[in-house]
Amino acid sequence: MTAERLFDLKSISKSFSKGKESIAIFEGLNMVIDKGDFVAIMGPSGSGKTTLLNMLGGVDKPTKGEILYAGKGIEKYSEGQLANWRAAHIGFIFQFYNLMPMLTAAKNVELPLLLKKMSSSQRKKSVAAALELVGLADRAKHKPDELSGGQQQRVAIARAIVSDPDLLLCDEPTGDLDRATATEILETLQLLNKDFGKTIVMVTHDPAAAKYAKRCVHLDKGEFVEKELVA
Amino acid sequence: MGSLMAQIVAVVAMNIRSLPQRIWMSIATLVAVGIVVAVLLAFLALSNGFEKTLNTSGSDKIAVMLRAGSQGEMSSVLLRDQLNIMELAPGISRDANGPVVSAELYVIVDGTKRSTNTPVNLPLRGLELSGVELRENFSIVEGRMFEPGRNELVVGEAVQTEFSGFELNKKVRLGQSEWTVVGVFSAGGSVFGSELWGDLKTVQSQFNRGSSAQLLRAKLATPGDVSEIQAYIENEPQLNLDVKTEVAYYAEQSKGITNVIFYLGWPLAIAMALGALAGALNTMYNSVAQRSMEIATLRAIGFSGVSAFIGTLVESLALAAIGGVLGSLAAYLFFDGLTTSTLSGNFTQVVFDFKLSADSFISGLKLALIVGFIGGFFPALRAARLPVVIAFKNAT
Amino acid sequence: MSDFYLIRKNLTRNKLRLSLNSFAIFIAFLLFGVLASLQAAFDAGVELSSEQRMIVTNKINFTQPMPLAYVNKVRAVEGVASVTHANWFGAYYQDPQKPLVGFAVDAESYLEVYEEFVLAPEQREAWFNNRIGIVVGDQMARTLGWKVGDRLPVSSSIFTQKDGSSVWEMEVMGIFTGNDEQFDTNYFLLHYKYFIETQSFGGDWIGWITIKTTDPALNDEVSKTIDAQFANSPAETKTTSEKQFSKAFVEQFGNIGLMITSIVGAAFFTILFIVGNSMALSVRERTNEIAVLKTIGFQAPRIFKMVLSESILLALLGGCLGLFVANVLVNGAAQAPQLRSMLPNLVLTDMVAFKALGLMLVLGLVTGILPAWRAMKLNTIDALNRR
Ligand SMILES: Nc1ncnc2c1ncn2[C@@H]1O[C@H](COP(=O)(O)OP(=O)(O)OP(=O)(O)O)[C@@H](O)[C@H]1O
Ligand SMILES: [Mg+2]
Repeated sequence: MTAERLFDLKSISKSFSKGKESIAIFEGLNMVIDKGDFVAIMGPSGSGKTTLLNMLGGVDKPTKGEILYAGKGIEKYSEGQLANWRAAHIGFIFQFYNLMPMLTAAKNVELPLLLKKMSSSQRKKSVAAALELVGLADRAKHKPDELSGGQQQRVAIARAIVSDPDLLLCDEPTGDLDRATATEILETLQLLNKDFGKTIVMVTHDPAAAKYAKRCVHLDKGEFVEKELVA
Repeated sequence: MGSLMAQIVAVVAMNIRSLPQRIWMSIATLVAVGIVVAVLLAFLALSNGFEKTLNTSGSDKIAVMLRAGSQGEMSSVLLRDQLNIMELAPGISRDANGPVVSAELYVIVDGTKRSTNTPVNLPLRGLELSGVELRENFSIVEGRMFEPGRNELVVGEAVQTEFSGFELNKKVRLGQSEWTVVGVFSAGGSVFGSELWGDLKTVQSQFNRGSSAQLLRAKLATPGDVSEIQAYIENEPQLNLDVKTEVAYYAEQSKGITNVIFYLGWPLAIAMALGALAGALNTMYNSVAQRSMEIATLRAIGFSGVSAFIGTLVESLALAAIGGVLGSLAAYLFFDGLTTSTLSGNFTQVVFDFKLSADSFISGLKLALIVGFIGGFFPALRAARLPVVIAFKNAT
Repeated sequence: MSDFYLIRKNLTRNKLRLSLNSFAIFIAFLLFGVLASLQAAFDAGVELSSEQRMIVTNKINFTQPMPLAYVNKVRAVEGVASVTHANWFGAYYQDPQKPLVGFAVDAESYLEVYEEFVLAPEQREAWFNNRIGIVVGDQMARTLGWKVGDRLPVSSSIFTQKDGSSVWEMEVMGIFTGNDEQFDTNYFLLHYKYFIETQSFGGDWIGWITIKTTDPALNDEVSKTIDAQFANSPAETKTTSEKQFSKAFVEQFGNIGLMITSIVGAAFFTILFIVGNSMALSVRERTNEIAVLKTIGFQAPRIFKMVLSESILLALLGGCLGLFVANVLVNGAAQAPQLRSMLPNLVLTDMVAFKALGLMLVLGLVTGILPAWRAMKLNTIDALNRR
């Protein structure tokens, strides 16, 4: 069975220039992500995991090479087009949750829906569903500083999925959490992948976390080293 | 105690070092305080200068007599026979020539203000040479005195600088006739410096005033004491006059305008100071927020809350003081000595200088420090009460 | 939820900062409201003066008298539609320290020339028919508590009656208003005949003549003709338009406009600095959140608008409050008798309010534009994942 192709990265190069010097992070990197995949990206600090994720999410652009999303080269999009594309297809989950401190959980989750044409009752429904899914229906009215780290991250997940994107990009989503809470989060992600068919790319330093993914790639010195997961 | 001092010095030093991080907010406070002080000083200089000009005009050796109820010279009329009776009053000093008095006429003529080139009202005073002697500070600085019976004028120094058309030897048309400016006089910074003077009889005839005058000046037998004259007036049914010392007369004349300047100036400065205070509070709360980690860490090490309090307060006071000094300096450079003129109670122009007094500077600095103190006090309280635990938390 | 909700939440997240900033803005607009009203009151005399009216005064000065015979001579001049005359009475009521404005006029012609004058027809008739009758401006009547039918002893600080007394008995026959809210109603009018026949100087002399021309375009011509007619007579005249006359008078106080503009300018400059910095700071503190919004898919221009709206909202909040309190203060001050005699036209006009609104927008734009620009240009990658 051949799954539908979501991402096709073709000989991506990325370098940062500091003054006259330029540091190459990747050179000629290739990668394929299918729909429904759950990829964990591991690798030493500074190997370029976050950079790669940013490029997948269209917040950063490769110096060279193409990033094809459903066959279209998104690296050629303008800032405005990228923003629309992100709003339609991508959900982000960050290590430090990045919730708006002055908004309640429900309002935080509702944020991405401001970018859609929806009635407010439709929005309310979607928000309730997303919060329900992450198990926080009873915390809708709470502000971030009234929630624990794990709960905040679940709100962040709800925010990422509320507009029903195809792809979730998570940068060390459990990096700031204890083992038990991390497990909850990972189980939620797994559920989203299995039952809701979300494609997930997750950067992590934790081999135990990587086990929740379908496959795991190692990034080292700008090269992929694919590793078999031991279930 | 010594250790507390050391702590405070250390905290203040740290504050100063971190100042560049909030340089723009700090400059905002500084500028705000500076502007407030400058505005206040400008007003004080204005009312000071005006008051000073009118105060130097009055002497308590001289009595001024006007028709009862008149607001000033403009609205007063004294007829010749009234003047004759008045001269006999006890309490008026006498010399070889009889009573030392001066009947004076006060007429409005047109002038042009140099700075704006707009028409203004200038006072023309008709008086006798004996009247000139009642002005202690009078001296001719250029040209000569007018000669009785001729269309000649002497003009005050301020008239020359502020209004055009009264240069020495120039002919000017006032009323029906032509007059020649034959001299310039100094009046020691008094209101007379804003006047044109001519011979009483000439002015009376050129302006159809018959033999009437508007005011009688008299040298008092006892300085400051007008009670004898007062009693005399009350007993003479033909005399319907008010008598005051010259000092009292000019104090009354200046009251209206100095009040306006003063009562406009202070509320304005206070309102603006409140605005600046909001800015100072903003800056200092921000400073405390920025340094909260640092303050908590110091407290964790064992520094006292007092040192955090004083450190913050000193920062605020220093900013306000610098702002206050800069504002005073600006006011001094821009306003001190500036000459201006306005309409006085007699519908004529009074020329005066902005004068900054030591008292004004002190008021300005006080206002700055009050802003600095209140602006620093509450944030300093917050700094002192900052929970130490935040030093152990992740900064967010 | 909408963008406005987000803007509001951002604005109110730091309550202390919000109150301090809006207070600073409040002060700026309070000052503006009060000072601009003061200036408008000063200028109102000029603004409201008619283009068609001219004033004929003695050339020496407006305080010098002229013969009554001039009135008819002026009436005969080509281009003159109507003519009236007036004398300054120098009035006060009981307290000589509180002078009142009062003119002795020729009643019928006066009302003809001053069309903006509003007086009930029956009061008008009653006044015409009573020798000692006066009409009092609405504001003056309210300040002094005078009512129609009151008989009052009014004194003059300049004139005396033939019997030596300086008190005239007068009877209030009507209360007048104007057809504009800034119209000065802080004076009273008595009959010229009553005044001239009782005062001790004698003679048929008047203070000044007011004329209305058939067409403002003729003003220059008319004034030249009049002044030429009386040249080389004992009382030469100077004829100026009412506007010039009022303007010349106001200007004699000094440059009030410049003074007020400088103070308001200084206040605004200060507030600009304070609020601008504060805005920049709060946007800087929010760097991370703005980056998140952008990552989620918010367009950069939308973020620009949101930040700018926030600063404008702040300016409007403090500004409207300031303007409101200024209005209360101005109305209160206008009731104070001392101010009322000096500045009879003191009100916060719509014009001032509109200018204030414009200034609020400018203040909001200026303080918000840089932070908004920075927020728009914010580099998401730099801002995120960096702690
Ligand atoms: N804006 C930038 N300018 C210059 N260099 C950068 C920039 N962003 C990233 N880098 C460099 O690129 C490299 C990869 O950074 P990246 O953040 O992707 O690493 P990472 O794999 O996510 O590391 P970590 O596990 O610590 O999060 C690092 O060497 C980093 O210093
Ligand atoms: Mg990383």
